[in-house]
Amino acid sequence: MKLARNLWEDIYKAPYNCLNMERRVSDKNILNYFAEEFCKIVERHTRYIIVSGFVAIASGRARGTEDIDMIIPRLSKEEFYKLHNDLLKNKFICMQSENEEELYGYLKDNLSIRYTWKDKPIPEMEIKFAKDEIDNIQLSSRVKLPLTGLNVWFSTINANIAFKEEYLKSPKDLEDAKHLRIVYAEMINEGEIKEIKKMLRKRK
Amino acid sequence: MIRDQTHMESVERWAKYVRSNKNWRTLHTEFIDSQFENTYRVINELLKQPNGKEKIKSLYGIKNEKGYPGLFLK
Repeated sequence: MKLARNLWEDIYKAPYNCLNMERRVSDKNILNYFAEEFCKIVERHTRYIIVSGFVAIASGRARGTEDIDMIIPRLSKEEFYKLHNDLLKNKFICMQSENEEELYGYLKDNLSIRYTWKDKPIPEMEIKFAKDEIDNIQLSSRVKLPLTGLNVWFSTINANIAFKEEYLKSPKDLEDAKHLRIVYAEMINEGEIKEIKKMLRKRK
Repeated sequence: MIRDQTHMESVERWAKYVRSNKNWRTLHTEFIDSQFENTYRVINELLKQPNGKEKIKSLYGIKNEKGYPGLFLK
């Protein structure tokens, strides 16, 4: 009956999750480690961006989450199958199904599909296809954020703030936006945020 | 809508700490990891219950049981 402990220790000790040693050096938490492992595989197949809550959390915001949101361009069926199979080969599992055709159907309908490490229900990566021009702009203007210490592509800080303040607007999102405004004060461009907000109002 | 002003003030205080203290990552890592450790503790407790596997499936929306043999196929 020590499964939880074992699952947890497994995350730290399994060969594909060697946090146990690495965290002493890089101080990576489990979300960071999961994100980097996942993104490394996705990058072999397509462009991607990490958006929303994890941008704030990876930048030091002190709140919990179980999922990380990723947007990828609209892939062909064949391109997606290659990506999916590479993820499976690297010990990731899709929570909804094993059937790649079914999963492609979700993505095509602008629904998300969710991957975790095999046997570990959290954390999870929630993937969606880009659904409009705003998503495509975000994909083309992606950035790396040295403060996070992660080798991962994010949507820009200004885009994240605009989404959180104009589109998502929950207390948690407004707090995320406030955190980003403070830690990235020198990157804030009010003109750009305003432009993105204007586009978001049309999306609604 | 914000929760209340004192909550937002504490968000601001922590954000300023992140900007000005290099050790923020150590505290942050402990904070994030402890939440996951606690969730896995709860998963363990749920698995002791007769309908625990069902609860876990509903909690996480797991439809692909084969992907989680350690949880569902024992």
